[in-house]
Amino acid sequence: MKFIASFGLLLITITACDYKPKNQGKSLYLKHCQSCHMENGQGLGQLFPPVSNADYVNIHSDELACIIRYGLEGEITVNGVTYNEAMSGNRQLSDIEIANLTYYILKELNDIEKPYSIAEIRLQLDRCK
Amino acid sequence: MGRRFWRSGISAFGVLLFIQACSNQTAKELPVLGPYKVVDNIVDGRLITDTLFTQIRPFIFYDQDGEEITEKTIEGKVCVVDFFFTSCPTICPKMKQQMLRIYDEFENEPDLVLLSHSIDPKRDSVERLHEFAQKLNVEVSRWHFMTGDRDSIYSMAKHYMIAAQKDDEAPGGFAHSGAFLLVDKNRQIRGIYDGVDPESIDLMMDDIRSILIEKSVLK
Ligand code: HEC
Repeated sequence: MKFIASFGLLLITITACDYKPKNQGKSLYLKHCQSCHMENGQGLGQLFPPVSNADYVNIHSDELACIIRYGLEGEITVNGVTYNEAMSGNRQLSDIEIANLTYYILKELNDIEKPYSIAEIRLQLDRCK
Repeated sequence: MGRRFWRSGISAFGVLLFIQACSNQTAKELPVLGPYKVVDNIVDGRLITDTLFTQIRPFIFYDQDGEEITEKTIEGKVCVVDFFFTSCPTICPKMKQQMLRIYDEFENEPDLVLLSHSIDPKRDSVERLHEFAQKLNVEVSRWHFMTGDRDSIYSMAKHYMIAAQKDDEAPGGFAHSGAFLLVDKNRQIRGIYDGVDPESIDLMMDDIRSILIEKSVLK
């Protein structure tokens, strides 16, 4: 009985874990971003910049939401390397999805502890250039 | 995708390991794939049935330096072949990531050449391919990015048994398969792999090693 109870608890914990923003963030990353930025965010040559351990992400952390929704083009420098390509936006992602994705990129791929609230993300999205 | 089919086919043949005489290397005997003809010959008064496999047909394309690339360029070489386009947002970056693994793995192997055909020759000019190759930091002598006459490229894809077509519904405007083909020194197809699956490419790299030590004798 005790066993079943603790097993049940374990199950609940596992299910609960699935709803952490980092998990939705990860699956969104794998679905929408990894084809170009690669599975660990390492990028590819001078074609796709890295999004993991990237100084650009650190410096522009409050523009991430805008980059995800509206894309980015023109010359940028990431970890000392110049890129001049274009990324198209992801208009189909909701504010909440973008918040989770932002959290995943900052925390899991860059070890940056900067949890933006949904309200902050919405504010950022309202002010995209 | 026919990957599972080819894989099981390949691994079934893979069971037929043989030890090469005069060397300690163990090579896997890989089947020849693609269309073939069965011909009957009378030799010494006896009927001998032979299977003749088709060779990849002659072609003319242009690489990122504007050099003409033909079947002569790859004479006696083992080739890895794929079809892509530079502005492809879906599977191509992954294919190029796997192709780079092969490029790096066989760095000191002059007999291996990579041939990437653009299925968007209108946008993928020689200049654009040049820039693309430069951004991947690869040498033209080992990796040719090729463009050319649109119809020739599409019929070449068909010839290699690779699906490729213009499709306005597909992301980037073209639908195509992410397959990599392994072509031997006789220009015969010896394997088909999934260019976005690292495990399939591990298998391909093993197969490349086996093919590289083969002599070029027509099968
Ligand atoms: C079709 C390929 C492609 C996809 C898919 C893609 N990106 Fe990008 N991304 C790029 C390119 C190319 C650049 C560089 C743009 C430039 O040169 O201005 C870039 C730049 C970036 C940058 C800024 C530079 C850096 O590396 O820090 C971030 C952040 C970023 N992308 C995040 C994402 C996220 C998050 C997703 C998924 C929602 C995504 N990208 C999907 C191609 C892509």
